[in-house]
Amino acid sequence: MSRLRRLGALVLALLRELSDENAYKRHLAAHGRAHSAQEWRHFSKHRLEAKYARAKCC
Amino acid sequence: MKLLAHLTWAAVAVLGALTLGGIALNHGEPINSIWLVVAAACTYLVGFRFYAKFLAARVMVLNDKRATPAERLRDGLDYEPTNKWILFGHHFAAIAGPGPLVGPVLAAQFGYLPGTLWIIIGAVLGGAVQDFVILFASMRRDGKSLGQIAREEVGTVGGFTALVTVLLIMIILLAVIALVVVNALRGSPWGTFTIAATMPIALWMGIYLRYIRPGKVLECSVMGFALVVLSIFGGQWVAESSTWGPLFSFGAMGLAVAVIIYGYCASVLPVWLFLAPRDYLSTFIKLGVVLALGVGILFVRPELQLPAFTRFVDGTGPIFAGKIFPFCFITIACGAVSGFHSLISSGTTPKMIARESHAYPVGYGAMLMESFVAVMAMIAACVLQPGVYFAVNSPAGVVGSTPAAAVATISNWGFPVTVADMTNLAKAVGEQTLFYRTGGAPSLALGMAAIFARGGGGQAVLGFWYHFAIMFEALFILTIIAAGTRVGRFMLHDLMAQFSRPTAKKMTGIVGVNVVSLVVVAAWGYFLVQGVRDPLGGINSLWPLFGISNQLLASVALCVATTIVLKMHGPKFMWITCGPLVWLLSATFTAGWQKIFAPEPALGFLAHANQLEQAMRRSPSTTTAALIFNDRLDAVVTGIFLILVATILVDSLRTWMGILRGTRESRIFEAPFVPSRLQPEEL
Repeated sequence: MSRLRRLGALVLALLRELSDENAYKRHLAAHGRAHSAQEWRHFSKHRLEAKYARAKCC
Repeated sequence: MKLLAHLTWAAVAVLGALTLGGIALNHGEPINSIWLVVAAACTYLVGFRFYAKFLAARVMVLNDKRATPAERLRDGLDYEPTNKWILFGHHFAAIAGPGPLVGPVLAAQFGYLPGTLWIIIGAVLGGAVQDFVILFASMRRDGKSLGQIAREEVGTVGGFTALVTVLLIMIILLAVIALVVVNALRGSPWGTFTIAATMPIALWMGIYLRYIRPGKVLECSVMGFALVVLSIFGGQWVAESSTWGPLFSFGAMGLAVAVIIYGYCASVLPVWLFLAPRDYLSTFIKLGVVLALGVGILFVRPELQLPAFTRFVDGTGPIFAGKIFPFCFITIACGAVSGFHSLISSGTTPKMIARESHAYPVGYGAMLMESFVAVMAMIAACVLQPGVYFAVNSPAGVVGSTPAAAVATISNWGFPVTVADMTNLAKAVGEQTLFYRTGGAPSLALGMAAIFARGGGGQAVLGFWYHFAIMFEALFILTIIAAGTRVGRFMLHDLMAQFSRPTAKKMTGIVGVNVVSLVVVAAWGYFLVQGVRDPLGGINSLWPLFGISNQLLASVALCVATTIVLKMHGPKFMWITCGPLVWLLSATFTAGWQKIFAPEPALGFLAHANQLEQAMRRSPSTTTAALIFNDRLDAVVTGIFLILVATILVDSLRTWMGILRGTRESRIFEAPFVPSRLQPEEL
């Protein structure tokens, strides 16, 4: 049961990484800021601009 | 305990050898797909446990005491030590594109055996090695890109050439995958409505994420997925409606224009509004579908209907012309070796590795997973009746322009199929016709739908699963087109900056961005229109061009990898990267040469142009003149690819000879050693 729970946690963590939610949490922690709509916009602007300047795989 | 481990690994190796032998020697009767799954899994396990471990320990000498860039340059954004299994999933999601799905489906025209063997062996000895070594090289160099590493380790010529090569490859890639979508949606109101619906859904997701629930990406993606599934049901209703159906039924040229307009708009719109939400959705659906297909194959265990070899090993294939060597290896591309992976391995991933030893499962293991996806695609294609497979994938220019002519030609090849079979199948999946749907996507969707429907629901759900598979393929191909056009814009800026920095700077304003985007869209749009107009279906000329360019990029990556291995150890381990490099160069240069100069019009661009020219003399037409121009253009583009890679190869050979003779400094441009202070709880 605990293995299943760990697997579930790992899958959720992967989904959060793929959805940039983890990166956003790290961003908030690194800059000591709280979540707000403005903060998310600021974060996603930089994050997404960098992300979509890189080639996507075929 | 050690004895038990040895015995277990010996059993895995023997099982792998037996199943590989089984599929290789069984030519008489249909075999079960589980043989392919077991052969692939055992080979991957042995390759991962022994070969990759040898590479990690002896060649790359991975050292967990050395701080990675993720630790040294940690910024919480790009550079962040990440759990190795999360990074594995992240890397796999980044490298998994349409290539490993479409390539094997097309290569199935040779039968299931040649493609399957190349997917398995090529990945273990070539593709995974390339990904692993480049990931290692970038990780030791602060996460630098392939181009930067090439410039430093090989020379400035190599670096510049790599940039031009990648830009050209990107243009061909975008054109060919756009053609796959066009051919999948042509005359299909159900499919077209579903894909059209994903656009307002993505816009709504963008607004939701920015203004309604900022930062709730997973929550928003779940809602987006539910809406996409609803749109598939809506698509069925639209297709059956006499009012709405015709509004969403487009010809190939209409769809091509729509895709070109989409590509331009999606690349210039703010990324938060359209591209990013679409990309989140597409990534999650992609991972879900790959997982579901794997489970479906294991659960259903379908029999392969295509033979081990078909008569088309002689080079007369209807989907694309050319013999097994080199064209099977060019066509499979991403499922075995993909040059594009080297861009991902020197992109985000090296900046997230917490410990050096994690490069082993991430770099090598993720490529094996990608290869497994290619094996599943091959299975999905081969569960179709051969006659159906060829009727779906063959162009009208080869099999005849009426259904009756097409089935007669295909049945004469020894693959019986009737018009009634095809009509019933089309009806079952909610399509008007399934003839001449070149590009691989519809036949893959048919195979996937057959597997999913046999898992539960039967014929009643075949239409839903077919359109679900089409939606999945088109959604992530169109996302790649949008993202690729944007990346092409940045690459063109970089290239302009090499010649004139002020001009490049001027082009970063709103007008400049639009102009550069238009140039990129026009470039791949031209090749897309060329593919749509091609009487041989477009795939015959464009997919080999894409395969050649992708494998040539892999050759560039392997040149860089060989230089690094040579500098680290001398010639002792050069065979590791030189072996796959020599194979790729021989396959790609042979394919490139044949595509340009082969005397058969179905194969050689110039021979085809000459044949058309003779026809032109008899009855002049502007369409034929355009086809002649396109053939010559394709020949020139292929020639440019070959020259670019030959340039990098010569530059690399010069460097290698200098190092081996001792006339050139064998300096490695790695970041200095810094001891790791990362604590286990931080992983």
